[in-house]
Amino acid sequence: MISMTINGKVVKAEKGEMLLKVTRREGIDIPALCHHDAVEPFGGCRLCMVEITKADWDGWKNYVTACLYPAEDGLIIQTHSAKVNELRKGVLDLLAARCPNSPEIRELAAEYGVPQTTLEEVPDADNCIMCGLCTRVCERLGFKAISTVGRGHSKQVAPPLNEAPPDCVGCISCAQVCPTNVIPYKDINGKRTIWEKQFELIACKECGKHTITTDFADALCERRAIPRDYFDVCDDCRRKELSLKMGSIVAWSREGTS
Amino acid sequence: MRIENAGQLEQYRRECQARLDKQTRRLLVCCGPGCLANGSQAVSDAFKKVLRNRKIKGFKVEALKETGCHGFCEQGPLVVIEPEGIFYTRVKPAHAEKILEETIAKNKVIDKLLFRDHNNGQPITCYRDIPFYSRQQRIALRNIGQINQCDIDEYIATGGYSGMAKALTQMTPKQVIDEVTASGLRGRGGGGFPAGRKWKTAASAEDTPHYVICNGDEGDPGAFMDRAIMEGDPHSVIEGMIIAAYAVGAHEGYIYVREEYPLAVVNLQKAIEQATEYGLLGENIIGTDFTLELNISRGGGAFVCGESSALMRSVAGEVGEPRAKYVRSVLKGLYDKPTVLNNVESYACVPAIIDKGGKWFASIGTKKSTGTKAFSLVGKVRNTGLIEVPMGTTLREIIYDIGGGIQNDRPFKAVQTGGPSGGCLPEAKLDLPVDFDTLTEAGSMMGSGGMIVLDDQTCVVDLAKYFLAFLVDESCGKCVPCREGLHQLYGMAVAVSEGRATEETLEKMERLSEVVAVGSLCGLGKSGPNPFLSTVKYFRDEYLAHINDKKCPAGVCRELIRFEVIEDKCDGCMACVAACASNAITGQKKEPHVIDQELCNKCGACRTVCRRDAILVL
Amino acid sequence: MKQRLYVKPELCTGCRTCELACSFTNTVDGKPRRSRIYPLPAGYPDMYVPVVCLHCDDPACAKSCLVDAITRNEETGGMELDQDKCVRCMACIAACPFGCALLDTQYDQVVKCDLCGGDPVCARFCPTKALECRPAVLTTRKKLAGSSS
Repeated sequence: MISMTINGKVVKAEKGEMLLKVTRREGIDIPALCHHDAVEPFGGCRLCMVEITKADWDGWKNYVTACLYPAEDGLIIQTHSAKVNELRKGVLDLLAARCPNSPEIRELAAEYGVPQTTLEEVPDADNCIMCGLCTRVCERLGFKAISTVGRGHSKQVAPPLNEAPPDCVGCISCAQVCPTNVIPYKDINGKRTIWEKQFELIACKECGKHTITTDFADALCERRAIPRDYFDVCDDCRRKELSLKMGSIVAWSREGTS
Repeated sequence: MRIENAGQLEQYRRECQARLDKQTRRLLVCCGPGCLANGSQAVSDAFKKVLRNRKIKGFKVEALKETGCHGFCEQGPLVVIEPEGIFYTRVKPAHAEKILEETIAKNKVIDKLLFRDHNNGQPITCYRDIPFYSRQQRIALRNIGQINQCDIDEYIATGGYSGMAKALTQMTPKQVIDEVTASGLRGRGGGGFPAGRKWKTAASAEDTPHYVICNGDEGDPGAFMDRAIMEGDPHSVIEGMIIAAYAVGAHEGYIYVREEYPLAVVNLQKAIEQATEYGLLGENIIGTDFTLELNISRGGGAFVCGESSALMRSVAGEVGEPRAKYVRSVLKGLYDKPTVLNNVESYACVPAIIDKGGKWFASIGTKKSTGTKAFSLVGKVRNTGLIEVPMGTTLREIIYDIGGGIQNDRPFKAVQTGGPSGGCLPEAKLDLPVDFDTLTEAGSMMGSGGMIVLDDQTCVVDLAKYFLAFLVDESCGKCVPCREGLHQLYGMAVAVSEGRATEETLEKMERLSEVVAVGSLCGLGKSGPNPFLSTVKYFRDEYLAHINDKKCPAGVCRELIRFEVIEDKCDGCMACVAACASNAITGQKKEPHVIDQELCNKCGACRTVCRRDAILVL
Repeated sequence: MKQRLYVKPELCTGCRTCELACSFTNTVDGKPRRSRIYPLPAGYPDMYVPVVCLHCDDPACAKSCLVDAITRNEETGGMELDQDKCVRCMACIAACPFGCALLDTQYDQVVKCDLCGGDPVCARFCPTKALECRPAVLTTRKKLAGSSS
């Protein structure tokens, strides 16, 4: 265990643990759009910048992203100093110019004093902030169905060749982790559509409720050795099934004893 | 042939030297990138053709050498005759026969091909007497232009691999590191991090294996120092890497060469094969138990891959995007293992340091920036080319003495150093000694050594716009400040150049620059606003002229200028009429021409062709 | 010490105290619908079974989680879901053969029983001790074989 000072308060942490984890545990609200615990820290959105220094740094301060700066003994951290807030404001101004229509960005930007971007709005903007979380999560799940293409300002998230991605199984994790909810998907009549690819949803054998896609279930069975019939019935019916089964066992044992 | 020990290497060196000594006359044809572009391959072929058909007394075909970049690219194709150092410029294939017959056979110097002094027009026979060369001191470029591009025997003859032999047989790794530390060698790629310290950290890292990487991803516009070394003297890089690998205990290394340098790849590959064949690389180098395998890794043409963490990811076969590194790459680099990454020029200096001692190297240059530094001197300077000068040489010496001043005697305006991430320095800074720290202090940086000279016809807004456009194009797009910030900065620079900006725009640009400089993930973004910041620092008036007066003082920004014919000066030669691509100029022969402002697209071609300076820029 | 939540349906009266205790402990608003434990009718008059995660030895939920967000807390023996790691692919909900990984529709979150860190409130509040949390007694196949012979 090491100890650091965060906003004047002494805090204990494991050595090497990322600062963002520590601050979140301490209940300090630091915005971070490109971070998700399921994937490696990325450092792309730059919103979790904090100011660090040490007693022996002669007043020199550094600005680092909390998501991937490892905790060190004796660090003195300011999560909301004037300069940090100024930097966040600058970054949010940029994001607000890129995604002027995103409610999530607008809200966060307003919180940091940018009700309206001071910069030129990107024409025909969508709400993607290009944090790449979707592609990184997809890679982490082992499907690698989508990736980023191009670089710089024209970088985009796209399936290969902009066609329905062959490796996609329709798990919609990409849409679920997207900080600005920009990846559309539809579940209609037992069919799921995402990335312009259509999937069959499994319908519960008992009640017909739709669960995950058949492709996803197949992939899970193959990769994690889960019997395929586990996916035949929905969770509601499974619970009912369990209670009935246990009930019959209890009834049977009562009969046996009486 | 395999060289089994250091003694054998010395023995072989003497043989090579004797062979070279037999060639009493050597004819060196520069085949560096500049001269090749000017057609030096045809010149070399012409020499070969003549020599096939005819015998020239006292001259053998082996003595005709295709060398790496000789440096004076402005005057290419260059042909040098050693040992006299007779220096022929702008040689054409048709001159080959004459040079062989007159100069080689009869010792007669061909006046017409000699370099002429800018000031007095006098021809200078020997290149060593030309100020461009006489003021230089070459360490990293020591062999380039002197020996056949990839002939290991010639490299050995000039003392090659002796530094490596000394390190491997007489020194411990620690001694090697101490020597490099004593030399004060700092990373030539731009960072200027002390090489000795980097090696020491890597050597003491417990994690294994260790790697050495050579950064040959030279992407700055106008820079070609590393290219010249990799193409012209690949063995010096390899030798430097072997020494580094020995010092840090690495047995595998990569040379990362950018996609645009195919000849460097070919020559390095050839050099690696030769060295391996001689037992100077690979398993049990010169009979010791030290082993090093070197591989060439080709870049994909992304500027950001010159950034160390992006480069390492690219070598590992991933997308070349930088990683934020609060853990240094020297400890967690390639495949997350301890990695020493140095630039081509740094490695090229290492054999000389080991050979002659760290003290010798430290005695050159300034106290904190030792040794020499290669620059590619380009732009509006008379003598463009590749140079190497001791650290601490002033900008004035470089531009006026070596560079011969500004083309057409126009006034000097600024010099841009350090590539896109660097900055512009005005005339007031001309007496600044060039080293890592002074340049950074002045708001520019050493960078890898690009030096672009600007005259009064260069608009700084246009320059900032150009570099910002380059960086916007090359930004990998991973982090927001660089991707969005540079894009916005570029947009605002365009607004300034088109007269759409206000003073508020300028303040906004400065504020945004701060966010980009502090907030970006890697060096590309962090230094991205530099082209703007340094120009606005030294040339604010020019920005304000664009903003308030809607004028471009340098006459470059198209939206703010117009071209007009000065009637009194125009003699009606029709040259501009012919040159105008948009047919905006009309007029009869021997009568003053008129420019139709509606049609004119302001390309400036008329001004370039006019011999009487009759085109005015307003 | 590894704990195990023992369920005795014969003692359950279906009073749903466990459900309330769970939802008040694990959610902000205490809505019973968002509980991790469900007393369900067992098909016989007046018989209920409190259905709750069994913290299986070979859990399908953890196997189906491709980001490894469900792991066993070695101290309590409970299978815990790391909410920050979960990407909400719903694989665990579909995979659990007992339907004990649940979707909290209000917050669009996957939730499941985590043994309350070793002291499950449902057991604490169960008036009839139909739920009881005790150190786990490992019954291996060998033992079973030995006792039957």
